[in-house]
Amino acid sequence: MRKRTLKRSSLRRALTAFWWLTLIFLYLPLAVVVLFSFNAANSAARLTGFSLRWYHQLLGNEQIIEAFGNTLILAICSSVIALAIGCLIGYGMYRHRHRKLGWLIVLIYLPIVLPDIVFGISEMAFFVQFHRLTGLLQPGLGTMVIAHVTFQIPFVALIVYSRFVGLDPSLFEAAKDLYATPLKRVIHFMLPTLKPALISAFFLSFTLSVDDFVISFFTAGPESATLPIYIWSAIKKGVTPEINAIATLMIGAVALAAMISLVFNRQRKV
Amino acid sequence: MTDLTNTVNTADRAEVADTASRDRRGASSIRMQGLRKQFGRDAIALAGVDLDIKAGEFFTLLGPSGCGKTTLLRILAGLEEADDGQLTIGGKDVIDMPPHRRSVNTVFQSYALFPHLSVRDNLAFGLRMRGEPAAERNRKVAEVAEFIKLGPLVERRVDQLSGGQKQRIALARALVCEPDVLLLDEPLSALDAGLRGQLQVELQRLQKRLGMTFVFVTHDQDEAMVMSDRIAVLDSGIIQQVGTPREVYEHPANAFVARFMGHDNLFAITASEDNWVDTGLGRLQLDPAEQRDAPDGWLLIRPETLELGGNIPADYNRLEGTVEERLYRGSRIEYRLTVNDHPLTAVAGNLGQRMHDVGDRVTIGLCPEDLVRVAA
Repeated sequence: MRKRTLKRSSLRRALTAFWWLTLIFLYLPLAVVVLFSFNAANSAARLTGFSLRWYHQLLGNEQIIEAFGNTLILAICSSVIALAIGCLIGYGMYRHRHRKLGWLIVLIYLPIVLPDIVFGISEMAFFVQFHRLTGLLQPGLGTMVIAHVTFQIPFVALIVYSRFVGLDPSLFEAAKDLYATPLKRVIHFMLPTLKPALISAFFLSFTLSVDDFVISFFTAGPESATLPIYIWSAIKKGVTPEINAIATLMIGAVALAAMISLVFNRQRKV
Repeated sequence: MTDLTNTVNTADRAEVADTASRDRRGASSIRMQGLRKQFGRDAIALAGVDLDIKAGEFFTLLGPSGCGKTTLLRILAGLEEADDGQLTIGGKDVIDMPPHRRSVNTVFQSYALFPHLSVRDNLAFGLRMRGEPAAERNRKVAEVAEFIKLGPLVERRVDQLSGGQKQRIALARALVCEPDVLLLDEPLSALDAGLRGQLQVELQRLQKRLGMTFVFVTHDQDEAMVMSDRIAVLDSGIIQQVGTPREVYEHPANAFVARFMGHDNLFAITASEDNWVDTGLGRLQLDPAEQRDAPDGWLLIRPETLELGGNIPADYNRLEGTVEERLYRGSRIEYRLTVNDHPLTAVAGNLGQRMHDVGDRVTIGLCPEDLVRVAA
């Protein structure tokens, strides 16, 4: 009996150690970046003291400010559009869930499983051809928004769909029965019920957009560098503490957005 | 809601609710003609239903699952479209009217309370959608909360309620709209037996006080008999019988209705002449009123009408049987007998008489007036 408890507790200790090891493996590189962004010296090897100098320098760099602006515009525009379209698709999938539409859903999800590089190259090829033929859609923020929307949609649709599936189907009928016109059903029943899911979907899309490098890289124009693209071109000249500072800010922003998404996605109990 | 309160006041003051409120202005009659509904290629839910429901009636649609009773209710609500047929509510043709324009409200089996709204906002939902001003809404919600005795529940969140409380709020949410007809889709089926029995009585009393037309759907024949003014028994999308609980129980229109109402003692009639029939039990004499030309059909013997042993009057049919099982149920005793190798159930009220033992031979008396012929 005693032996078994002993065995069990040592197993538990080993698992705890493994858990901490995993966490360290995941977060140590991030911690190093954050730490060195506050380094007083221009060195990636020696910590000499605490300083906000790289953050000051960052704010004075016009290229970075522009890239930051582009990232924000791109993330917000694409997330809003993806939310609107994904919401409709999610509702459509729910409404017609009894029909055999599995193949359609696979089509919508294909972008998720496709390697980003393949997706990015295809988008680029498409936009270049389209521009050549019509003169529209010159590579730039516009094409980037379209590209981002395409990979954000499946996530939004999935979140909206799963929220609807988790609801009692007779709620839709109760709204009809209680004198709500189709428009009022959307305003007073569907949107309020979906609200947590929509907030969650928005911040997830936002995170995906800020995170993306590969697809942005292929669909960007000369004037529309985002932060990841700027970082990529800057580190060709070597990693400066300035890059650490940008990375730290991005880690903070993405972590916040992901957290908000998670919190609202958790609030789905009915 | 003014109507509602007036009715209640009248009821409280004079206790004449039964007759007085029956003719309340709001109550509407329903007329269905040739309603048909089919799902997919071969699932016929309703095969031509003709039915008249009177204003202010507690009417129950009774049948096994898949008989079409819920489909019929959903057609009344407008949640399902009939393939064919006519439907008028209060003399108004509503067959093409969408649900949000019908003055009909439903109490759903799952209650369907909106999770994003408080109890109060759930109650006000219908009034709000109909565009009633806030002051009016608040007054009506307060009245219905008082009427259904919701008390402090109004302030709760929906996820803090028990099943019974949800049921009452779903009912209040529908009643506050003062519909012409209230539809109830098995609203008690999710509750435990005790609460269920209590709510059956409450619901029936409430309907009498309001004088509103109630259409109730259930698969439970006891529930239907306790609550209803009239019952329609459905099977395979066809109405088998419409009648008062007593008519349906004591004079079922056919073998399906008899079995569904809980009758076991059905015996095939092999031959008949005048007021005599031959069954597996033997030759039995019926009341002359039960005389039929055709020999087919079934003979129904209600288990509570059997006389076991003792003094059997001379004009009764006599049978000899053996007690196979005895089930003591407190208020009554149930005997499973065999007569000529046919099983026969008898129920005797527990009046303190001597009980028959398993294996006893008993004489069974059947009053001719209690024997009912039932069509196949």
